Amino acid sequence: MPSVSASLTALVQNLVPESRNDERLASELTALCQEVLNSHIGQTRESDVGHLAELVKRHLQQTSPSGVSALRFTNLLSRLLEQPVLSRKHASILFLHSLGSSQHSASASSAFLPSLAPPPPNRPLPPATISKDLPAVSNKQSGKPKAQLLREYRAKIGRPHLAEALLLRDALYILQGISGKHVLLSDKRDSSEDRNLIFRDDPLHIISASNRTLIHRLAELGHLYTRVATFVQEREGKSGVGMIEQSLCFYLQSQLTEYFRLIAILESQMVATSNSEGADDAGQNPRDEETGLTLKRLEVWIDEWRLRLRMMSVCVEGCRDSHGGALVNLIHSYTENGDPFVRKFTDELLEEVSKPFFATLHTWLFSGELHDPFSEFFVALDSEVAQMQHHPIANGGGLLSGDGGFGGGSGDGDDLSGEKEGGLLLWERKYEFRKEMLPTFVGEPFGRKIFSTGKSLNFIRYSCHDSDWVATREKMSNTGGILQYSDIAGLERSIDAAYSVASQRLFDVFFDKFRLLDHLKALKHYLMLGHGDFADQLMEALGPSMSKPANTLYRHNLTATLETAIRSSNAQHDPPDVLRRLDARMLEYSHGEIGWDVFTLEYKVDAPIDTVLDPDGMIKYLKLFSHLWKMKRIELALSQAWMKIAGGARNFLRVPALTYDWHKVRIVMAEMIHFMRQIQAYCQLEVIECSWQSLLDFIHKKEGDLDALMQAHRNYLDRMVKKVLLLSPKAGREENLLNQVRELFQIILQFRDATDRFYDYSLAEAAMLDSEKDYGRGVYTSAAPTSERSKSSADTLAQIRQNMEEYGTSFSERAQTIVHSLQTHPDLDCRFLGIRLSFSDFYKSKRDLQQQKA
Amino acid sequence: MASKESDRISSAQQTLDILYDISQLLNTGLDRETLATCVSMIESGVNPEALAAVIQELRREKAALTARANEKAS
Repeated sequence: MPSVSASLTALVQNLVPESRNDERLASELTALCQEVLNSHIGQTRESDVGHLAELVKRHLQQTSPSGVSALRFTNLLSRLLEQPVLSRKHASILFLHSLGSSQHSASASSAFLPSLAPPPPNRPLPPATISKDLPAVSNKQSGKPKAQLLREYRAKIGRPHLAEALLLRDALYILQGISGKHVLLSDKRDSSEDRNLIFRDDPLHIISASNRTLIHRLAELGHLYTRVATFVQEREGKSGVGMIEQSLCFYLQSQLTEYFRLIAILESQMVATSNSEGADDAGQNPRDEETGLTLKRLEVWIDEWRLRLRMMSVCVEGCRDSHGGALVNLIHSYTENGDPFVRKFTDELLEEVSKPFFATLHTWLFSGELHDPFSEFFVALDSEVAQMQHHPIANGGGLLSGDGGFGGGSGDGDDLSGEKEGGLLLWERKYEFRKEMLPTFVGEPFGRKIFSTGKSLNFIRYSCHDSDWVATREKMSNTGGILQYSDIAGLERSIDAAYSVASQRLFDVFFDKFRLLDHLKALKHYLMLGHGDFADQLMEALGPSMSKPANTLYRHNLTATLETAIRSSNAQHDPPDVLRRLDARMLEYSHGEIGWDVFTLEYKVDAPIDTVLDPDGMIKYLKLFSHLWKMKRIELALSQAWMKIAGGARNFLRVPALTYDWHKVRIVMAEMIHFMRQIQAYCQLEVIECSWQSLLDFIHKKEGDLDALMQAHRNYLDRMVKKVLLLSPKAGREENLLNQVRELFQIILQFRDATDRFYDYSLAEAAMLDSEKDYGRGVYTSAAPTSERSKSSADTLAQIRQNMEEYGTSFSERAQTIVHSLQTHPDLDCRFLGIRLSFSDFYKSKRDLQQQKA
Repeated sequence: MASKESDRISSAQQTLDILYDISQLLNTGLDRETLATCVSMIESGVNPEALAAVIQELRREKAALTARANEKAS
């Protein structure tokens, strides 16, 4: 092409002015230029102007970071593109760009040492390229770069390095866990955990060490990818995979899709490279390296994914041995990370993964239903308990929910053993709190609240038959937005709100609908003898029959007596619902026991009240009753005896011989009455009323949930049992004091019997004295006394005296021991009882007296 | 006809101006004349990168010559 050669000459003359004079130099240079032009430098693909412009801009950015020149370039370029003249604008720009950038690199370093020059960031050194293509010239101009020498040497001995481009394809395969042509994954399917990389060296090419390292690094992703993908596939096929796991799989899958997208982009880059490159194994084209893909670039591109895949793989690992909430926990533990990338990733993941959890939480929190087909929630249903409830309440029959609902009252209240499976069992055992499944971002106190809220709702719904309210609530709360991970504060608010509403409602249901307070009051009034008039009436009515052997008593008689007692006391004004539940019955009796031992009052409760008034509690109530009842009996016995003595005084006082004995009797009896009064006052005032007050305080506060209420009631009861029965916390000796007190009661009764006998004797004596006096006056009112009779009466008197003496001292001794042990009792109230009993240091001085005597 | 010809010339002139500006921007160190020559060569189908290499070579040659001349002079 003549025009080209002419232009070339002009160019040569322009650039090298010396050649104008020197013909030889001119022709030499022209020839050289011709050769260069004919060489294959940059026989590039049809790359578009946009890409080129991008390259130029990047270049400009590097030379002048202000960005002004890049902007200017953009303007110029757009103007140029509008011009109609040039047909190869792209080529012109390319020309300018190559010149400009080589100019830059040339200016940055000496043109004579190209191999030492720092490579421009996105472009290898053109001088090196030129020197390869034009060995003659470059030899003249400069030494060959060392890398070039090495490469040539390798080519000479026939083992050139494998081209990076070929490895690149393999690398992309490996990223997807597929073996490539040159790099294989070892095929050990069994131990898939560690499939090794194998580099297959064909004899012609070797893979350089640096490339090997790079591929090894890339292979990590392949390995992780395989692991995650296998996991997802496994889970897809299997049934019974938890919802949380399913959503994890979904998230992983979407992430993998992203990953594929990246690989596809990379691959398209690679294809572009290899297309233009053709069969050129050396891959030395600068243009390609500038735009295409290399292993190192791949490494950079993929770097973010390395971390991501690692995280995913960790999740997958965790998924193998944890499940449900525990899995969420595991993921959550990674959110506490300083690395914003990791944090963001786990946050996203958690958002996704926790969705099913929050869905379950929502139904649980707002409707009290547990929809947890794969038992992933931290509340677990005890299927046995739920099964036990063959309650007719229709429950939608959801196969998966398995939620049988709380069974309501079983109808017949007579069967106590049946009652045991009532509300309490349901409340306590139907749902179970599984701490290990609780996501840590919720926190245990909140977990407990959630648990209790749902339980309360469920209970209200199924045991209290108040499902309308729950349904309304549910509808209302549904408008309050969705629960989700990113809004923990909102979550906590809704939990708090739901909790307070639910427990408030539960309280209301218990106290308004089921009148728990009335029942508690009734228990206090009847079983703990709060209604004094009722107790007196009952005692009086029952008194005569109580001393009979237990097997002669009949329940219908007892109930009739109870009825009478109720009618004749203030108890008749109590609500009929309460009175209906009151029942008298006999405990299991053995041979020789009398009515006093076996009689008991009973208060029947049914579901759902029995959740609070549980069977254990009822047993405690019975225990208390029997103790208090005994006390009442003693009190009654003593007061009757006292009345008798006081009333009969005028009879026996006439027997001067017995006056001193009667005096002693009165002293002892006064002591006993004092003892009984103090102990009764202590029980009623110090213990029962105080405990009742604290229970009332709790109830009025209306805080906490049903559990708290149960706890409060239990505390109330325990406190009473402990103090009324004077139990000491010492193991094995809890009932020591109680037994002593009981013995004391026994002694009092015996003493009373003795007093009765003595009373009879005194009456007889008085009558005899009277008749003797009458005899003296000559009036015969009865048979003349015989000496035998007086002898036998003297024996009886001695006997009675001895008995009374015995009982009196033993009472005094025992009372003293009791007071003594009460003084060291660990419970303050009990100690106070000790002080009450010996307020004037009566027992103490007595002991001192004894000690002095000894 | 003449006006069209003049149009063409002026637009060619404009194009060259723009290219020169870009060339300045990229700091290629080409003057207007050389640039025109190069562009015309490219338009006639010369490989632009090879042409860039040629320019490089010639400049290097020039530098070498000057250096030699300097040596001789000194």
